[in-house]
Amino acid sequence: MIGKLKLSLPEGVQDYLPDECYNKRRIEDEIRKFFYLSGYNEIETPVIEFLDVFAGVKPSIEQEHMFKLIDPEGRILVLRPDITMPIARVVGTKMANDYLPLRLFYLGNVYRYGDFQAGKQREVAQAGIELLGLNGPEADAEVIAMAIQLFLELGLDEFQIDIGQVEFFRGLIEEAGIAEEQVKEIQSLIDRKDMLALEMALKRLPISDHVKDTIYRLPQLYGDNRVLQEAIKVSRNLKCRAALENIYQVYEILKDYGFERYVTFDLGMVQSFEFYTGIIFRGITRELGYPICGGGRYDKLVSEFGCDLPATGFAVGIKRLLIALERQGKLEEVPNVDVLVVVEDGQRREAHKLMQHLKSKNKRVEMFLPTNRSISPLDYARKRGIPKVIEFKENQGIIEYEVHPE
Amino acid sequence: MITIALAKGRLMEKAVNLLEIAGVDCRQLKQPSRKLIFFTPDRQIRMILVKPNDVPTYVEYGIADMGIVGKDTLLEEGRSLYEMLDLKFGQCRLVVAGFPEKQDVWITRSHTRVATKYPNIARNYFLHKGKNVEIIKLNGSVELGPLTGLADVIVDIVESGRTLKENGLVILEEICSVSARLVVNRVSLKMKNRETKALIDNIQMALEERKNGEVN
Repeated sequence: MIGKLKLSLPEGVQDYLPDECYNKRRIEDEIRKFFYLSGYNEIETPVIEFLDVFAGVKPSIEQEHMFKLIDPEGRILVLRPDITMPIARVVGTKMANDYLPLRLFYLGNVYRYGDFQAGKQREVAQAGIELLGLNGPEADAEVIAMAIQLFLELGLDEFQIDIGQVEFFRGLIEEAGIAEEQVKEIQSLIDRKDMLALEMALKRLPISDHVKDTIYRLPQLYGDNRVLQEAIKVSRNLKCRAALENIYQVYEILKDYGFERYVTFDLGMVQSFEFYTGIIFRGITRELGYPICGGGRYDKLVSEFGCDLPATGFAVGIKRLLIALERQGKLEEVPNVDVLVVVEDGQRREAHKLMQHLKSKNKRVEMFLPTNRSISPLDYARKRGIPKVIEFKENQGIIEYEVHPE
Repeated sequence: MITIALAKGRLMEKAVNLLEIAGVDCRQLKQPSRKLIFFTPDRQIRMILVKPNDVPTYVEYGIADMGIVGKDTLLEEGRSLYEMLDLKFGQCRLVVAGFPEKQDVWITRSHTRVATKYPNIARNYFLHKGKNVEIIKLNGSVELGPLTGLADVIVDIVESGRTLKENGLVILEEICSVSARLVVNRVSLKMKNRETKALIDNIQMALEERKNGEVN
């Protein structure tokens, strides 16, 4: 029956009431300013796109995770499940001849079906950057440093950026010549750090003991930079060594910024290995059981849209940031109005002029329009926590007074 | 402080036993009470008692840093966790079971009704086999499904097979074998590296100790 849902919301979406909305906007403004000052230009793409942008590329986003619509011509549209792919589309089709590198950032909502939970909803506000046209470690380090600096700017305590390199895993697979079906299984076992099942799966594969042994160690290769030394000891092939060399170079740059204490490593981070082509990373904090940001290098994606460009970037979940910041006591209440203006008939022009003047000085002003006609401006101001009242009187002129809490 | 979520029920006693060998003081937990939260005397470890299906949930959200739960529950819940250790106890098999004489009938029928406590596992299993099934979610005594005609087969865990046998059912297909697992939250393993790693190492040593004890 139409109407029975009119009081509720679909699952996975939410209203942002003034206090939360204020903080969300404040954080988004800070993020926007930080990205902008770092030389990145904002880009906006539509919320509605053709399904093909996300499903017609390799690797594609699983179709059961997308909100779909049909246009009048019968084509399938989706609410974008991701913003990186639309940006790759824009760059490949409209910015292919721009002077490189390109530094782009965005703030916007993405839509996905799937598990919804706090910070894991169906309408997800994201902010992110993409650095296109560069394939060196300097670009990866810039993107990671941007994430670290952003969290510092926002006042987030106790966070870590966990860095992996999918080429290390790819090097091992190529050396072993493992078939694609089995790669999926092994990848998911490494990702879950399921040592026993990994051991059993590896036993069945006709590959050399050395590679088996190295793959078996992958889930345990996490922690501080000693992990990298350990990994070097066991890697023989060129691809693995190049991958480690790449992490080292990125790490050296981050050390120059004094960021080494925010960095840990995990060579068993392989879950999105079809999408990424190099460094990958995730941001975590003590306050949340799941990551607040994620990113990495994706050199193959833009070529899906007709322009072969290396690229790297990251996205941060705004709601997850809000949760972490609230748990660290870093959210603010909406500031009170600064001035309450009371107007008697005949004084509106003057009052309006003053209100505009105050607003131009960044003061919040409110016209006294009580629902309860018997309340005095002073009591009203006290209730609302407004520190100052200016009354425009017909006979006595302008009266100003401070409001002290009782 | 580390929080461990323990599954109430068939795995509970063995989980507590293992934790004690690993040096976790569980005395408070073993006293009869209706409390759901327990601490070690030094308050370094907090244990919460939850329904098995809720263990992966608590761990995924990071409310619990780790948990002890059966692989069957992990497969059913499909949460994003680290499965660090196979604890070896609580071993059983996930199977499709039904009446032996109807075996052929249900294999050839295009529409099979499956009674189970594990709707996701059952759905995935039959999906991979290209079979159309109707999943009937039950919350216990699943064997009753075929007995009463509610379902053609069941998907359930089997330890000794006695319950099946007593009810005239046989194992038709084996899905996989399962046992208790130590699962760890993805962030806790990194952000509380020192504490989690120490506890995982202790549990691993306890496992080996127990294994050696059985051999001797």
